[in-house]
Amino acid sequence: MSAPSGVIVGGWEYVWAAYSVTAAILLGYTASLIARYRGERRKAARGGAPEVTS
Amino acid sequence: VLIAMGLLLLVAGSAIGLFHAPGEEHMGDVQRIMYVHVPTAWNAMLAFTWAFFCALAVLWRGSWRWDARLEAGIEVGVVLAALLCMQGSIWARPTWGVWWDWDPRLTTTAVLLFAFIAILALRHFVDDAARRATWSAVATVVAYADVPLVYFSVRWWNSLHQMQSTPQTVSSAFHLPLRVNAFGVLFLMCGLIALRARLAQMRLREELAPPPVAAMPARGLAVEAAR
Repeated sequence: MSAPSGVIVGGWEYVWAAYSVTAAILLGYTASLIARYRGERRKAARGGAPEVTS
Repeated sequence: VLIAMGLLLLVAGSAIGLFHAPGEEHMGDVQRIMYVHVPTAWNAMLAFTWAFFCALAVLWRGSWRWDARLEAGIEVGVVLAALLCMQGSIWARPTWGVWWDWDPRLTTTAVLLFAFIAILALRHFVDDAARRATWSAVATVVAYADVPLVYFSVRWWNSLHQMQSTPQTVSSAFHLPLRVNAFGVLFLMCGLIALRARLAQMRLREELAPPPVAAMPARGLAVEAAR
């Protein structure tokens, strides 16, 4: 029986997992932020904050 | 534009890292996680550094605009730090044999993440806008003290984690995907912080605006909200 070489063989499933998590979180957060921003703009356009009264 | 550029660079950098760059001598293909992990780490620290300077500006100038930027920096930093911990955990499993270890680098990073989550919670629960701004700015300055600890933890203490990845410590064959992804995450982070700050400013403007005119006393009121 040979001694362990200390080299990791394979492991592509971990690589894909890391890249998938990265894509999911970055795209998910970006999409949620754009949706929240658009929602807030719509709310403001409907008559949110008054401009100025004197 | 920044968000689109960041995403494009990330796609390009990841494609180079996954399909073009060579595997590392000992870690083999698993090392390719570095091309997303290290840029995420750098930019998470940058986002918290931005939040730190915004906190100082809030305390010094008392400006709502800086408060909105502070909120944006903290939230984007938390997203990146949470992602960082997940990527690190996935990388740790095949290389260290465990998903998590209470190693100095990992522990200080977890403390940083939870400290800034706590500041976001604090902002959520404090109704008074002025108190919220001051308290969260002070808490950000205190929590930021952990950032140098995260950075130097691999030098100061015995750590399973490797030393900081820089062009000097990483083989030149790995530079291109690492740099492309670093700029990708940087552009994305800047775009997200800018967008999140605008959102925070709109909410502040709404929060600080006077009630509708009908409910006001006979004399009007001029308010400059969220300025």
